[in-house]
Amino acid sequence: MSQDECVGVIGAGNWGTTLAKVLGDNGRSTLLWARREDLCREINETRQNSQYLPGFQLPPSVEATPDLARICKSASLLIAVVPSHTMRETARELGNYLTGEHVVVHATKGIEQGTFRRMSEVLREETCLRKIGVISGPNLAKELAARHPTGTLVASRYDEVFVRAHHVLHNDYFRVYQGRDVIGAEIGGGFKNIIALAAGVAAGLGLGDNTKALLLTRGLSEMARFGVAMGADVMTFGGMAGMGDLIATCSSPLSRNHQVGARLARGEKLDDIQRDMRMVAEGVKMAKAAHDYATKKKLDLPIVGAVYRLLYEHHEVALLLKELMSIPAGPEFAALAV
Amino acid sequence: MRPEHRERARIEAATRVVDRAVASLKPPEEVQLEALVNDTLYHERRRLERERGDDARVADDHAFYSKVQKRLRHASARDLRELLDQIALRFASEIVGNFDDRVYKLSTTVVPTGLSVLLTAMSPKKLGSLGSLRHGLSDHVQIQGSVEHVKKLLDQGTLVVVPTHSSHLDSIVLGYAVHLLGLPPLLYGAGLNLFNNPVTSFFMNNLGAYRVDRKKTAALYKDVLKEFATVALELDYNNLFFPGGTRSRSGAVETKLKRGLLGTAVRAYVGNLKSRRDKPNLYVVPCTISYKLGLEADTLIDDHLKEVGKNRYIIEDDEFSRPRQVLNFMSNLVSLDSRVVITFSRPLDIVGNYVDEEGRSLDPRGRVVDAASYVCTNGEPRYDHQRDEEYTNELASGIAREFLRDNVAMSTHVVGHALLSLLRRENPNMDLYRLLRTGGKSPNFTFTEVCRETEAVVSALRNAARGPRLSPELEKDAGSIVDDAVRAFGSYHARPAAVRRGDRVFHEDRNLLLYYGNRLRGYDLTNSSAGGRAA
Repeated sequence: MSQDECVGVIGAGNWGTTLAKVLGDNGRSTLLWARREDLCREINETRQNSQYLPGFQLPPSVEATPDLARICKSASLLIAVVPSHTMRETARELGNYLTGEHVVVHATKGIEQGTFRRMSEVLREETCLRKIGVISGPNLAKELAARHPTGTLVASRYDEVFVRAHHVLHNDYFRVYQGRDVIGAEIGGGFKNIIALAAGVAAGLGLGDNTKALLLTRGLSEMARFGVAMGADVMTFGGMAGMGDLIATCSSPLSRNHQVGARLARGEKLDDIQRDMRMVAEGVKMAKAAHDYATKKKLDLPIVGAVYRLLYEHHEVALLLKELMSIPAGPEFAALAV
Repeated sequence: MRPEHRERARIEAATRVVDRAVASLKPPEEVQLEALVNDTLYHERRRLERERGDDARVADDHAFYSKVQKRLRHASARDLRELLDQIALRFASEIVGNFDDRVYKLSTTVVPTGLSVLLTAMSPKKLGSLGSLRHGLSDHVQIQGSVEHVKKLLDQGTLVVVPTHSSHLDSIVLGYAVHLLGLPPLLYGAGLNLFNNPVTSFFMNNLGAYRVDRKKTAALYKDVLKEFATVALELDYNNLFFPGGTRSRSGAVETKLKRGLLGTAVRAYVGNLKSRRDKPNLYVVPCTISYKLGLEADTLIDDHLKEVGKNRYIIEDDEFSRPRQVLNFMSNLVSLDSRVVITFSRPLDIVGNYVDEEGRSLDPRGRVVDAASYVCTNGEPRYDHQRDEEYTNELASGIAREFLRDNVAMSTHVVGHALLSLLRRENPNMDLYRLLRTGGKSPNFTFTEVCRETEAVVSALRNAARGPRLSPELEKDAGSIVDDAVRAFGSYHARPAAVRRGDRVFHEDRNLLLYYGNRLRGYDLTNSSAGGRAA
């Protein structure tokens, strides 16, 4: 773990470019992978990623490259930030160049559709990696890029993963906390997108802060129920990757998921919204994955069910809201009792 | 183990453990050192209180620890270190035992003969009828799986064989398999009670066993034990550990594995790389031993039911300590009613990757990986306790996965599961323990019902994604499977698990049904009409 250690960032989207900027701000030599050569050229020549992180200058120590082999050779610490639906393909390609010495922290929110695999599981299934971690927290890319103070969680079963990620990422505007519950961190980071989408719907309907607080609190409860069923530690959901991320995502109109929800509430069609946005709203995919899993495992997740029916069965927003509000209310923590 | 290796392993194991303990002391070191000696003394005293006083070994231990206690009163830091050295060496000496190299070498050829001796010694009258034992055993102990693969790996590194454990016969049967395959003997830790048992001491002393005293609970003892296994691996002795710890009480294939001895594989591998050994690789070979009948089934399942969720006691008085019972079982083994199937799974590296026949590690996509890269930083091998613990967890998951995949389901397991499922369905409101005790509403089921349920279980097993293997008798029709199992139950157990009378099958000993049925735990049997619940 030398001071001049090179770090690789796999994925030059909004979040990947932001993390590369944090690394660059910390003086780290950083190789940022983008599949598209024109994007690499733009980053290297203008120090900007105008498509995914417009308005921010990347530090000189960040270099973009489409060469995965070079990145894996130069850096033994990688941060993987690709959309959940391309993680398997990217991991398989990455696997050609990885060794057991590599450490990979992924920052991808969401679960693989159809298989219910978490991203760390996908990485494990496609590569020789053992030292895998996840980074998750209240991290809206634009705010972090603007150096607004925030924190995050790096969860891994391997201490080395945290130590190394902390070493290169932690600074005076980005606090990096340690966790061991990889499942909880991954579930929290993915699940919150569903609630953010619902919060967007509430905002789009012009509902106030009481409604939002109700949604967040019961959403957190559903997140914990879902996570515990998948093997997570319930405590994780009270931390950075649970409540922290949920508050940030649901409070901010910057969030893609929030925007999708608000536009749906205003009567726009999902296909049209997605076509406009360019970037992927993970909540759309996550709602389906979570709904399918909950159905299979007989979990009671009413907010997830409502979001699913809104997105995939085109139910009326007003009707769904009425349905949610008519569910009998009993002891607040009954569903979490073991 | 060669005499010079034995001495080296003894000294090395004790010294490394004490060095490590001393290196990790924080100020004030003297106080911590004293606490360490005191802790060991406390555990040993407690153990001795429970041991029989007339045993010479116990008396000797008493005398030794009295001396330690006396010196402890006025001990300087240097004295404390010396005391710790003495205790660790005493533990190491006991563990190493009294290997005799000549006997050890001979053991590669004496196993089948030894089994004859065992049986002959117990019942001279049976000598004539057991003349064909050797032949009989090879008929009834079937060895399958990655045998050739394992043989090839012997030239590439050191083996750690990790079998399932359901009987004291396991080490003997496995020793026999190792002999048949022409593999070198395996070094393994056997409970001290097996050395004291006249029936088993012959095998224990001569099959490369070192001594493990499960009554010794001091942390220092466990550390010395693990370090001894590590040094033995570094000296290129192929090892055998039972990763489940003790025999499976419930009858189920072990899925929760003990990490202690298993962790020695990573340590030894790093040690090999650091000392630049010629062939540093370690290969872990999961191995399932599947019995159609369980020699100690009655005692084990009783213990399981009594102790579910609590600490278990060490069983010293079970079927294995009753010669006649062993004889019955062994005779049964060479008759048509019983079989043992040993399946060698695909070998793994120290982090749970499969390895190919050249001994190279493979990633899940079949790409070659340099195993050394897992324990190296900037190309240099290094120990990392936390990392290595996690690697051992990964390895344990890999072993458990292979256990389930290569477990062999037999008629007794399937019919045990089927009958218990029928009982549960007929008594939906009765908890399992009451059901086992009372037998529920009716004492029997029609033969047709049992056949139908058996068929459903076999079909679900066939469709299960991750194992098990099916024994050839399960290819037959359901009626033959049920008859086969009922005959097997009746041929050994004093009170059979189930008997057939006319067109009805009676559940006689439901605990045994649970024991046999539990062997199918861990597979998705929800497609069978009865579901896959087990205790």
